[in-house]
Amino acid sequence: MRLTVAAEWLNSCAGCEMSLLNMGEDFIACLRILSFVHMPMLIDHKYFEPMGEKIGFEFPEADLGIISGGIRNEEHLAIAEEMRRKCRVIVAMGTCATHGGIPALINMFSNDELFRRYYRTTVATDAADTPAVVVPPLLDRTYALDEKIRVDVHLPGCPPHPDHISAVLTALMNGEQPRLPTKSVCDTCPARREGKGAVQKMRRYTRNPRHQADKPLTEMKCLLENGLLCMGPVTRAGCAGEKGEAPQCIRARVPCRGCYGPVQKNGNQLLDMLNALASNGIDIRSLPDRQAFLRFSGAHGRLNRPGWKTRDRQQEETAAPESR
Amino acid sequence: MTFEPKILAFTCNWCAYAAADLAGTARMQYPTNIRVVRVMCSGMVHPNLVMEAFQHGADGVLVMGCHPGECHYQDGNVKARARMIVVDQMIESLGLAPERFRLFWCSSAEADRFVSAVSEMTDRVRRLGPSPYHQGVGLSGETKEDLECASR
Repeated sequence: MRLTVAAEWLNSCAGCEMSLLNMGEDFIACLRILSFVHMPMLIDHKYFEPMGEKIGFEFPEADLGIISGGIRNEEHLAIAEEMRRKCRVIVAMGTCATHGGIPALINMFSNDELFRRYYRTTVATDAADTPAVVVPPLLDRTYALDEKIRVDVHLPGCPPHPDHISAVLTALMNGEQPRLPTKSVCDTCPARREGKGAVQKMRRYTRNPRHQADKPLTEMKCLLENGLLCMGPVTRAGCAGEKGEAPQCIRARVPCRGCYGPVQKNGNQLLDMLNALASNGIDIRSLPDRQAFLRFSGAHGRLNRPGWKTRDRQQEETAAPESR
Repeated sequence: MTFEPKILAFTCNWCAYAAADLAGTARMQYPTNIRVVRVMCSGMVHPNLVMEAFQHGADGVLVMGCHPGECHYQDGNVKARARMIVVDQMIESLGLAPERFRLFWCSSAEADRFVSAVSEMTDRVRRLGPSPYHQGVGLSGETKEDLECASR
């Protein structure tokens, strides 16, 4: 029996689809069972008639729906909801879909700030008005997929390693629950750890850590212990693939950036990382650029505009003059 | 009806919990707004636990341990102090007033100190009003959806 697959890309860069194609021979094996019925990224199946006879879009029904990217505008939202209606199982592929990813960094700014910056402050071009036609209206922020629709399988990664895309597809073809890595990057890292306590301050990655490039990774001292901000402890493992030697950034001898999102689905990379550093005697108030800990997981309301306030703060400010 | 806040207290087994116990045996009066969770050491309270308490509707959270230098485990409360700075830094990202959280030291003999800390915290939180997460219902512009998403 063949399984039908519909794939969509929303607020994303096509890196996940590249990773899907990078599955190699596994992909050919999958194609014996899977048939892709809709995939605008690779198959010429568009929703709009070129001259605009149809306004809506029609998707074929499918057993499996793969969506990469988060939800940023109303078109994304409508597509995601249509996918949910037409597919039996929805896979959120990539960190943008599961945790907001890089595009969720915009959640630190308002849409007005975005348009002002983009259309009216660049030096090289004339100022222009915010586009009102053709471009779908933006939502107020970037959402992960599961904030708007029900998601059955979460497959994080930027992009997810082909091994794990293959594992998910294979498991779903056999009617099983996919098994994905549950450990942290540190758990899979071969670097040499000497113990806590030696480092008092963290620094940005502007200079290379001390290591000898000709020696193997097992002789490189842990980058965190070198005083470099490495997101390994709070990031889910997987970038090395099933048989990989080491996490990919570590293999390049640079600190982990946290692209697989938090170790547990609902974890908070910022909170967990601050806790880990504070518990080891590092003064977290000295850290530069703290929001960057949420570089890949800013959706779910984790990253907010600096002026973001709920009633609690407003109440206090209005109450303050009286109490003085 | 006046607002009765719900306050969660993580108290360490060796000092603060013993102080609460002493306050009880000495029949000292203090507000019933507090819910005590006994932990072996204030240093074992992960900031996540505090944040989660807020997200589930606690109006205030207290973390109580031994005085510095008197920790049963040498330096657990020093660790607690370092870890609770994380809560101070993160609490505003939840949209909550920092006054809703307090780290407090009291020894096992200081039942009066425990009682005054609880009374003071209750007064303070009562003045602030219900937390926006209280019963999961937003009180101002933010929708229930917003709060759920911030608390996920």
